[in-house]
This record gives sequence, C-alpha cells and structure tokens, in this order.
Amino acid sequence: MADLHDEPRTLPEVGELDDEAQAASFGPWAPLTAEEATEATEATGAGETAREAGRPAQEPGSTPLERARALLAAHPVADGYSALPSALRQLPWYDLQHGESAVDTDVPRLRRGNVGALLWSLHLPEGLTADRAVGATLEQLDLARSVIAAHPEGLRLARSAGQIIDAHHCGRVAVVLGPATAAALDDSLGVLRVLRSLGVRVLTLSGTSWAGGDAGLTRFGEEVVREMNRIGVLADLSGAGDLTVGRVLTLSRTPVLCTRSAARALRPHPANLSDELLAGLGAAKGLCLVPLTAEQTGPGLRDVADHLDHVRAIAGPDCVGLSGTYDSGVAHPQGLADASGYPHLIAELLRRGWPETDIALLTWGNVQRVLRTADFVARAAQDRGEPPTARITELDG
Amino acid sequence: MTSLDAARELLREFPVVDGHNDLPWALREQVRYDLDARDIAGHQRAHLHTDIPRLRAGGVGAQYWSVYVRADLPDAVPATLEQIDCVRRLIARHPGDLRAALTAADMEAARAQGRIASLMGAEGGHSIANSLGTLRGLYALGVRYMTLTHNDNVDWADSATDEPKAGGLTAFGREVVREMNREGMLVDLSHVAATTMRDALDATAAPVIFSHSSARAVCDHPRNIPDDVLERLPANGGMAMVTFVPKFVLQAAVDWTAAADDNMRAHGFHHLATTAEAMKVHRAFEETNPRPVATVATVADHLDHMREVAGIDHLGIGGDYDGTAFTPDGLDDVSGYPNLIAELLDRGWSRPDLAKLTWQNAVRVLGAAEDVARGLQATRPASHATIESLDG
Repeated sequence: MADLHDEPRTLPEVGELDDEAQAASFGPWAPLTAEEATEATEATGAGETAREAGRPAQEPGSTPLERARALLAAHPVADGYSALPSALRQLPWYDLQHGESAVDTDVPRLRRGNVGALLWSLHLPEGLTADRAVGATLEQLDLARSVIAAHPEGLRLARSAGQIIDAHHCGRVAVVLGPATAAALDDSLGVLRVLRSLGVRVLTLSGTSWAGGDAGLTRFGEEVVREMNRIGVLADLSGAGDLTVGRVLTLSRTPVLCTRSAARALRPHPANLSDELLAGLGAAKGLCLVPLTAEQTGPGLRDVADHLDHVRAIAGPDCVGLSGTYDSGVAHPQGLADASGYPHLIAELLRRGWPETDIALLTWGNVQRVLRTADFVARAAQDRGEPPTARITELDG
Repeated sequence: MTSLDAARELLREFPVVDGHNDLPWALREQVRYDLDARDIAGHQRAHLHTDIPRLRAGGVGAQYWSVYVRADLPDAVPATLEQIDCVRRLIARHPGDLRAALTAADMEAARAQGRIASLMGAEGGHSIANSLGTLRGLYALGVRYMTLTHNDNVDWADSATDEPKAGGLTAFGREVVREMNREGMLVDLSHVAATTMRDALDATAAPVIFSHSSARAVCDHPRNIPDDVLERLPANGGMAMVTFVPKFVLQAAVDWTAAADDNMRAHGFHHLATTAEAMKVHRAFEETNPRPVATVATVADHLDHMREVAGIDHLGIGGDYDGTAFTPDGLDDVSGYPNLIAELLDRGWSRPDLAKLTWQNAVRVLGAAEDVARGLQATRPASHATIESLDG
C-alpha cells in the first residue's frame, strides 16, 4: 500500500520541467523513465511533422531565405554533431549566453540559425590510452552537465525525443548527449548501461577491437549492439568500416545513425558512404547526417546542397539530416562558418525545389523519428530477462 | 520478554543502517555478476554472508553497498562503474525488498515501505583516478560516500596500512574533500591514516563518517580510530560505524594474524596468498595455533568505549560482511545484528540510544551532507583543479 502514496510535490517554476522530469534528467536508476516510456509509446513523430510542414509557411512571393526562416521556425535544425564540450574544455572562461567568439557555437548564433537541438559529441582527444577513456568520458559528461546547468535559459538536457520537444517548446536548445566513443565502454556492457543512465544516447562504433574485422562485428560486438537496442543507445557508424556498417544495418532493430557522413560518389572521403551503403541505410530507415565540412562535402554551400540532393535521392528523404560538426577543428564550407548559416542552406534547397515536407524531415523530423524508435524498441525489450554481462574474453577469445 | 525479543522489536521500528557490505565484489569474484548463479532472494549461506532472507532476519533497513574495486586494477574507473551496474541490477531484480536511495528522505521512505534502502559507497580514492570530474560522475551515478583510500596510499592521501608519504592529505586531497562537500558525498575515513583523518576533519565542511572502523584504544590496529579523532566527531557532527572484523577488533586476533602473516612470509609466500600450497602452510599454522574468536561482547566493548569518547549521537554500525573471511561468534552474517542489540540492551543501553545507533544517526548525517552541499553549490562553482596544478 505504501508504494501507492504520493510524495508531496511542489509546482515547477514557469519554463522548468516538473520534479519528476528533473530527477529523470540524471535519474540514476532506470535506463528509461516512466515518462520516457509513455513518450515511446506515442505515435512516431515524423508523420505528424510532415503534415504540419504541408501547411504553407509563407504567403507566395516571399524570398527563399524568408521561406527558409519561416520553415525553420516550425522545424528547427537538430544538429547531429557538435564538438562544443571538448572545445570549451580548453577555455578558462566562456559565456555562451551572450556570445562567445572563441568557439563556433553560442546561444545567439544558435538562435539566428534556428537550431533546436544539438547532439553533443563526447569523443575524446587523440592519443588517450584505453584505460583513461572511461574516466575521460565521465569528465566530458561532467563538463556537459555543468555547461548546460550554467546556461539554463539557453540550453536544456534532453534524454529522449519527447524531452527534445519539451525543451523546444520552452524556448531552449535541446542537448542530446552523444556520440560517445566506443573505447569509453572498456569492453564492458555494464559500463554501457551506466553511461546510458548518465544520458548518453549515441555511441560511435569505431576504434575498438570488437567493431571491424572480416565479419564487421565480433560476437562481443554483436552483443554490444543488441544491448544498445535494449537500452536505447543509437549506433553511430560514421568512421566505421563498410563491413561493420553492413553488419550493424542487418543486426540492429533500431535505426542507425551516421553522424558525419556525406556521399562518396561526390567526394571520395573514407567517412563518406558509397551509394550501396546509402541505399542500405535507406532500406533500414537509418539516418545519414551530412557534415558541413569542406573536407567531406566541398568548399561551398552549394557543394553541401549537392550532397544533400544525392543522399536524399539514394537513401530517401526520410534518411537524410544535418550535422554541423562545429567546434571540431575542421574547416567549414563558405557561408556555413557557424550555426547561423543554416537558413541560407535551407534557402538553397528551396531554390532547388525541395518540398517543404522534405525539408522539415531533414532539419527536425528524421532525428525525432530515429530517437523515438530507439525509445520504443528499448521499452519493448526492457522486461525481457536479466541484462547481459558477457565479457569480451568469453565471446571473442 | 528476552533481550533478543526486545532487540528484534526495536529493529522493526529502527532498523540497522549498515555502512559497508562487499556483496557486489563477492558477486564479481565468485560468479562474474551472474545474479542467477547467486540468487540472493534465497539463502546463499554456502557462499555469501548476505542475502535477502538474512538481511530481513537481521533487521537491516538500509545498506551502503560497497562499489569497491581493487586498487591494483589497471582500470579502476570502469571496474567501479561495473560495480555500480551490479548494485542497480540487484535493486531492479528485488523491487519488493530493495529500494534505491540517494538521500536521507529516500532512506525514510524505504523504511516506511518496509524495504531496504540501498545506497552506494566507493571504497578508495583510486576509483576517481585523480579527477574531480570523475568524482562528480560517481555522485551523479548515486555514490554517496567515498573512502579516501583503501589499503594503499593514493597520490593525494595516506592509507592506514601503507608507508606514510603525503603525511595526511595533499593540497589536491583537501580539494577532493571540499568537492565532496560541495556535491553532498560523505567523506569516509575508514582505511585512512590517522594523519589523513585529522587533515580531512580540518578540511571538511560536512560531517564525515567511518563506514567500518572500531576503536584503537580498545584494540590497537591501524584500521581503528584513535581517541583524539573520535573526540572530534561531536564538533564535526559525523559518525563512526563500528566494524566486526575480528582481526581489527580483538587484540588476540590482531596478534594471531601478525604471527600467521610472519609464518607465511617465512615459508616464502605473500601473506595474503591463497594458492593451494600457501593454504596448506596456513592450515598447518592454524592447527597448532587456534584462531582466537571474537564475540558479540568484543564489538560491544568497542561501542561502549566509542560512546564514552564520541557520544551516542556519533555511532553507527558497519559490518564489512562479504569483505572479510572471518566474523565474530553471534555476528556470523547479516542476520546477526539483533544479537548485538540484545547485548547492548543487557549492558543498559536505552531504546532511544539504540535507535540512534541503528538508524537515526546515519540518516541525520546524510541529510546534513545534503544541506551543506546545497549551501556550497550556491556559493562556489564546481572545482576543475587538477592534481598537477595543486600538488605540482
């Protein structure tokens, strides 16, 4: 009986999540909270988003840039890769709220660019030994938490698709934690679960002994992917070998991400995807997030648009998204030096005849769908038996 | 009514908060976290000191599960996370008996529901790998105390059972204590050198605990607490949780263990070696030198003394079950606490005193750490100091 008693609750401040959701933001125990569970069982958001986008955004006669801004106001950018945490790590002091010239990303520029959500990379600096990777990832998470906490009017942590929408409705940029690096697991499924409980939603499957080889994944690697499905961590396949991409596409019951991949047919960069893999990604309803980097997409805004055209054509409009890759130390195409350039890119796509529904999917809807599906798959799998504890030495010898 | 019946009745209202239990490490070592192989829903007498039926019989209402990992592991941080995962899986597996607890209020809620509040404590500063960010990560994951060292020194604090190096806490060590205060993580001074205890008491703004230590004046072992430190607990507000480990609490057992260790070394083994040949040597020694046995009275003697020096408001219990090979007669496993309470009743401890010992002090101390943390968070930002910047 006592279980049924409600704890006394205080009303939340305006614009704040209520107590339950606050607790959930770092709620330590369950990989999915009850709140996330209800969200996960709601309809997947993509269709709804597309319907909204079908409404005329502006009266005819407005310029493509005006139309782009209007579209983005309703369907902001969910940026698939931001390296801001590691860039901030180098700075003794910063102010994201009022503008920070030392980095590519701050709240004013996110607002100008109509960015509604960011995936914050937890990737680690090169040359870190494996035994430091877990501790360094905890430090990145600590930094991410403190940056979010220090900018309550600009940023809000989101652990699920629904919380991204909540944050957007409160006028905050939603921050999703991940991708983290696979080395951060230290080959342990227990560590994977613990990182998930700290909010990590995406894991990059490269740079580890269990992703790669002739099979694409070792037996332990397959166990990792199954456990990621079970607890709602998305696989990021950018930088993984083609065999690994193929194997994960076959195995994963949750759509996968490529957080930084463009079209290899247009630019032969190793992290870019061949048409075959793009088609496979499309068939599996995964998501190719095209990076705004000169190296992978080309030196101009139109080059990026070419890649988006190509990925949309091969993988489909449900399977293409945007990845700013800001603050990761790479050169960006002209006109896209920081987050405020997104409306110009969208205007270019409008000029090329992209329907507004497809643009709504590109900027916002597809990321929503993939996260929602992951939440749903995880919820459905949660109560099936004990969490696995297999060790890499048992499975991979 | 016998005193044992009276003890059980008291524990129904004010159950035991135990400061230290190594079940997670035992599950790791014995079955590599295969919880089906050691299902604590039923009796596991053959393998463990701890299971749910015996926790219930022992009147346990809250347990700090130790997420200890060996200090010589190359990857202490991920191993600690695996221990945390193990505790969470235990809680998820036994929802009717265990309840996750992060705060003093959670402890009271668990008591009201008749469930065992499950908290976590990290045993040894090696679990944060000299990183305050990792320390905060452990807090975010639910760890509510950290013992500053285990048996070996860490870079920033001296252990009771290692050669003195820092002479207590280094500057970074004091920063660790300050940051624990700011987070609301209790500073645990079991296992640390007396110099570290004194430095930590000087540095801390919140009550400290000794999660499993007894009185050095009663039994002279470095793992126990000197009187001058016990005397400081009233001003600090913290608590000492008496431990049962025979080789720390019974002078004859301390001497016997020293002789047994010498015997092992004389035969060319490490004193903690457990190989077949080493065990043969050890058994031969034990046959000619019977092992002294501690009893409930031995532990009660410590509590009587600690009460005299520190006061009734600063005592608790930390059995160290599944972290020690031997246990006292009458306190053989986690079902034994009522015997200790009965002994104390016989010695004239009042019911209100015993309620403080078993339950109230521990809840008060965690709540006080939360209060201090709220105050500190309002006045200073999280520290990003590194050991290099402070200790050079």
